[in-house]
Amino acid sequence: MQPILITRGLTKVYRSDGVATPALRGVDLAITPGEFVAVMGPSGCGKSTLLYLMGLLDTPTQGTVIIAGADTRGLADGRRTRLRREHIGYVFQRFNLLPTLSAEENVGLALKLRGRPVGSAAREMLAAVGLDDNRRRRPSALSVGEQQRVAIARALVTRPTVLLADEPTGNLDSEASDRVMDLVGRLHRERGQTIVLITHNEQVARRGDRLVRMRDGQLLTD
Amino acid sequence: MLPLANILARKVRAAISVLAVGVGVALFLVLVGLTSMLHEIANRTTNVDAHIMVMPASGPALLLGGGLPADKTEARLRAIPGVREAIPVLCWSLNMAGRDQNAFGIRPGDWRFFAAPDRLVEGRPLEGGFEMLIDTRLQRAGDFRLGQQIERLNHTFTIVGIAREGVAGRVFVPIDTLNECLQQDTRRATFFYVKADGPASVEPVREAVANLKLSAFTLDEYYARLANLLGDMHLVIGAVVIVAGFVCFLVILLTVYTMVVERTHEIGILKGIGASRLQIFGLILAEAGLILAGGILAGFILTVAGRAVILHLQPLWTIDIPPIRFVHAAVLAAVGTLLGALHPALRAARQDPVESLRYE
Repeated sequence: MQPILITRGLTKVYRSDGVATPALRGVDLAITPGEFVAVMGPSGCGKSTLLYLMGLLDTPTQGTVIIAGADTRGLADGRRTRLRREHIGYVFQRFNLLPTLSAEENVGLALKLRGRPVGSAAREMLAAVGLDDNRRRRPSALSVGEQQRVAIARALVTRPTVLLADEPTGNLDSEASDRVMDLVGRLHRERGQTIVLITHNEQVARRGDRLVRMRDGQLLTD
Repeated sequence: MLPLANILARKVRAAISVLAVGVGVALFLVLVGLTSMLHEIANRTTNVDAHIMVMPASGPALLLGGGLPADKTEARLRAIPGVREAIPVLCWSLNMAGRDQNAFGIRPGDWRFFAAPDRLVEGRPLEGGFEMLIDTRLQRAGDFRLGQQIERLNHTFTIVGIAREGVAGRVFVPIDTLNECLQQDTRRATFFYVKADGPASVEPVREAVANLKLSAFTLDEYYARLANLLGDMHLVIGAVVIVAGFVCFLVILLTVYTMVVERTHEIGILKGIGASRLQIFGLILAEAGLILAGGILAGFILTVAGRAVILHLQPLWTIDIPPIRFVHAAVLAAVGTLLGALHPALRAARQDPVESLRYE
């Protein structure tokens, strides 16, 4: 099966005050449709940078990201945004819900930004993550686990090609973490959702089909 | 949805911004309205069945006092070919309804040149003696009524008539009575209205009057002279409007800039979930637009309220605001607001999503 997301020689060097800090050093990774890949490594190994680049939120210093056959090297910001909208769902570590909107409005926003009608899609997705009763609540009225589930619903309501999850359980207690990972696993099984999840937690990482380890900006095992 | 939610999340700041825009709008409209006062005075003064105003050689510096010998001047004017009527007017300041008014001393028989018969809403024209005729604006301002006796110039005047506002003066008294009150030895006049035989006679009459070493202005010219004063006032108003507009611009710039900085992380989230630069730009402008809409509405309300308060305090002032000026005010507010929001909106659109997401 052809990979849906490929990184080739992906390199990112951050420069500040004349100091160059390499965050990624030539990462080659291929994700096939329906795969659940866990990327694991210690803090500072480049996991988040890898995810930002795969999610087209940042541009590499060298190398490229190919998503759904489209090589993103040198693309203008507008084209990258369109690719991101079309193919990427992102779950942030800190949930990153908009505090002024309800759970349903947060989920619906992802559709509105793509010019799609919201209809009942937001509500249905919240029901799929078990939060239909809380759909009118604002994030401040939800538990951290509930907020993360809303974030997952927001990422998946657009039916992305790939779901990128950046330490989705990083801010959760063990019980909430288990609930979130159970949800992610269920969505992967039921919908065949392709998932790339980064974590520093071994238990979370074992939920994936494939484990990729990173250290110092490089892949150790695949 | 999101712009409104964001505005409502910072109610106090939004209210201050709305007020800033509103004050700018109201300031513009009320000042424009106040300029109508000069128009109103000019309109009234030239709303006479005559063609020319004749004054002492020094010109219309001060329409007050008896600068001209009334009988002698009248005779000289009537001797000019083309002059049909020479109407003397003696102006003197009387305090009425808490404000100094230019009282017009006229011959009772000349009332027909100042007002058509249907202009009188109560009572009758002057006949002589210590009588007074006022206009409806002054009546309302001073709560005067027909038959009321008023002490002025050490004499008791009776209000015998009330005319609909728009006549040349707000107060009319017999010229002979006014001369007597001012203890003039001979009948004096401040200026004359001259009625020519017809439009064709106006210019020759004016030239002839100038040869008598008097100043002569057609009513249109006199209106224009007052309008020149208005031109100066427009410059002052223009300067005030520019300053008010600049203050609005600065308030909006500061408010929207602060909004963008505070929401750096949120902008990163929006980009992370698929918002384009254009959408971020549009979102910020939409929020500024909501402030603008609120500000325009607040401005209109402040204008109506401000006008009511000013006219309550100064009932003899005129504040007429043509409806088109509300459109002008809204456009000016829109330009100032959108200019103020432009830089922060561009800044937000260009923010790096990764840096924004990392921003605490």
